[in-house]
Amino acid sequence: MRIEDRNNVRVSECSAGPQAGAATTMVFMHGFGCDQTMWRYLEPLFRPCYRTVLFDLVGSGGSDLSAYDVDSYARLDAHGADLRQVIHAVGGGPVICVSHSVSAMSALLATIAEPGLFSAQVMLAPSPCYIDDAATGYRGGFSRADIDDLLDAMDSNYLGWSASMAPAIMGASGQPALGEDLANSFCRTDPVIARHFAQATFLSDHRATLPRNSTPALIVQCSDDFIAPLPVGDYLREMLPHSRLHVVENMGHCPHMSAPDASYRAIRHFLDGLHL
Amino acid sequence: MRDTMPSLPDTNTLFQHAACGLLLCTADGTIVQANATFCGWLGYGARELLGKKKLQDLLTIGGRMFHQTHWLPLMQVQGSVSEILLDMRQRQGQSIPMLFNAVRRVHEGVRYDEVAVFVASDRRKYEQQLQLARKEAGELNEQLAAADRRKDEFLATLAHELRNPLAPMRNVLEVLRLVQLDDPQLRWARDVLGRQIGHMTHLVDDLTEVSRITRGRLELRRASVELAPVVDAALHSVAELAAQSGHKVHVEQWPQPIWLDADATRLAQMISNLLTNAVKYTPANGVIWLDVACTQHEVRISVRDSGIGIAPEHLDKVFDLISQLEPALSRAQGGLGIGLSLVRGLAELHGGSISAHSAGVGQGSTFELRLPLSAVPLQAPAPVERRLLTGTREGSVLVIDDSADAAESLALALDILGYEVRTAYDGEAGIAAAQTFMPQVILLDIGLPHMNGYEVARLLRSEPCGKDAILVAVTGWGQDKDRQMASDAGFDLHLTKPVDFYELDAALQKMLQAR
Repeated sequence: MRIEDRNNVRVSECSAGPQAGAATTMVFMHGFGCDQTMWRYLEPLFRPCYRTVLFDLVGSGGSDLSAYDVDSYARLDAHGADLRQVIHAVGGGPVICVSHSVSAMSALLATIAEPGLFSAQVMLAPSPCYIDDAATGYRGGFSRADIDDLLDAMDSNYLGWSASMAPAIMGASGQPALGEDLANSFCRTDPVIARHFAQATFLSDHRATLPRNSTPALIVQCSDDFIAPLPVGDYLREMLPHSRLHVVENMGHCPHMSAPDASYRAIRHFLDGLHL
Repeated sequence: MRDTMPSLPDTNTLFQHAACGLLLCTADGTIVQANATFCGWLGYGARELLGKKKLQDLLTIGGRMFHQTHWLPLMQVQGSVSEILLDMRQRQGQSIPMLFNAVRRVHEGVRYDEVAVFVASDRRKYEQQLQLARKEAGELNEQLAAADRRKDEFLATLAHELRNPLAPMRNVLEVLRLVQLDDPQLRWARDVLGRQIGHMTHLVDDLTEVSRITRGRLELRRASVELAPVVDAALHSVAELAAQSGHKVHVEQWPQPIWLDADATRLAQMISNLLTNAVKYTPANGVIWLDVACTQHEVRISVRDSGIGIAPEHLDKVFDLISQLEPALSRAQGGLGIGLSLVRGLAELHGGSISAHSAGVGQGSTFELRLPLSAVPLQAPAPVERRLLTGTREGSVLVIDDSADAAESLALALDILGYEVRTAYDGEAGIAAAQTFMPQVILLDIGLPHMNGYEVARLLRSEPCGKDAILVAVTGWGQDKDRQMASDAGFDLHLTKPVDFYELDAALQKMLQAR
């Protein structure tokens, strides 16, 4: 199967200006709980100067669900490898990668595996480890019991909320037209995959990976984020080489949705500094 | 009359005591209104909630995570969520499953989320039962898959075990073919043996393919086949059974030779199945007709009988696997009903069809098999020279097989051809023999005791005596992975038992000449 179909890849060529044609590519990688539709407020802001690439993680949105191999995708490396394949499929790097939540770690793994593909990475609300670690004093914000509680919540929403999301609707139609169709497709996913991805996400621990980073990184942390609280941002800034931290005034875990302008300004400033 | 109507409750009373919890929250989730129903369910006074608690504060940790990652994005993009089931914490600390519907609305320029909440304890229990059932179904599925794998392994093992005795039988047959037999009865006996061993080899091959058959992956071994001899052979195979029942068999062959692009074994199988079926379902002293007719595009082979016939309502079911038609009778006749189903499957694989006709119970039946004729006229294949000259071969061969019959019979056949042959019955003896005998070719069984053929091959490859020898794996395991394992172990050639003697001789001649 083509990578473009497997990951439901959408490319927007640089819309105007002298940059068109030779524009740098920005790849947006959505996180847990949603699909590429999440970028609808932030990504268009970059179109005038960049060629933008959106895609769905395998198992989410309009991706090929049959490609979701439970054993492989139990680790974030698989999503990282997919990201590299997507970049190769759209013409290779170096690209600027913007990733949200857990995908920030998948993308980090990709930048370490193939640094030549990336000129910069932007991590929105990232966390290298969600569970507190008493041994090292690390504060991820959650206990193992909390994560089990989340998995329970996902289980109990199989039948009400997500069970109505028949794969038939999600299948091949691609990015839905924004508007009414959206209500029928946004964030729809196979409940079994969603739960498995939740497990892979919230039980992951990539703290040991951080020192291996060599790609310039911007960490965008929200001022009031229950999933990735401020101490996590500070920890990342300290442990991730070549990184800068920017805190956006925002409640919640999705600054690109609830604070797209502030997020844009932070990223713009970061990229200007890199002459990208 | 209107004056006597009791007054309706005001909307505030309706709001406070609605049959569901009602909340009004600001954009950050702060509760600004909550009805009495909701407060009662959670054990809070309104004053403890309004302006002081956020909706998410009342959720469990997992619920809050779900709220952040699913609820909020959905609210933002589509402006509503429905039927979300999350646990809420009561004031006393107990959690209670609740079902949420929410819609985002603007009141006087300010954005609010209006939330309706229902207690969902029973629904939660029911869903937990469903989840349990789902988990159990998943486990059962895994068990079934495991059983299916065991069945495939069993069939592969069975085919292997059946191949083992076939090997020496086939070798002996080759010996019989190489010696001069003067007695016509012995020659006849040898030919019968040859045909039956060939047939059995085919059947054993088929057995290894059974798992593929169930998945619709049976592969035909198509070749140019003349129909008349196949029909004759099929008639021959049921002749005794028909004679025992006193049936008369009338045969009408087509006057010209008919060549089909078909799998000869399966073609014979189809025709003999139809004949066996006719014999079985015809009471004693009946009549069976076999007619072959030909049009420009197809051949029609029909088998008609004067038997018990088929009721109209059963006509379309006779080709179903293990059809329930007259089960008692079927069992009395010793059939499982697989025969006709197999004919249909094979006919379709050949691009043909099978149909059943009967005027009714007691009126006899006709089965018509239609097979397409090739667009290009088929020629009789050039006769293969299958006769080997004794004493013409050169070369030294070591045969290692733990079955003495298999080893000695193969050795004898090779010896008659002129090869210099030694035998050994296990790996250790084989290596010792190789060291003194220095053979050019080593035929090695895989399933040896103590040390298997792969290990023996690796050891031989590391010894001067085996470094340059032609190593041939002779094994009952004929699947692709077995070939790969043999190749990995250093074998030059992999042959499946029973060895086709001509194939072996040709391969040996080719490889020996290349040295």
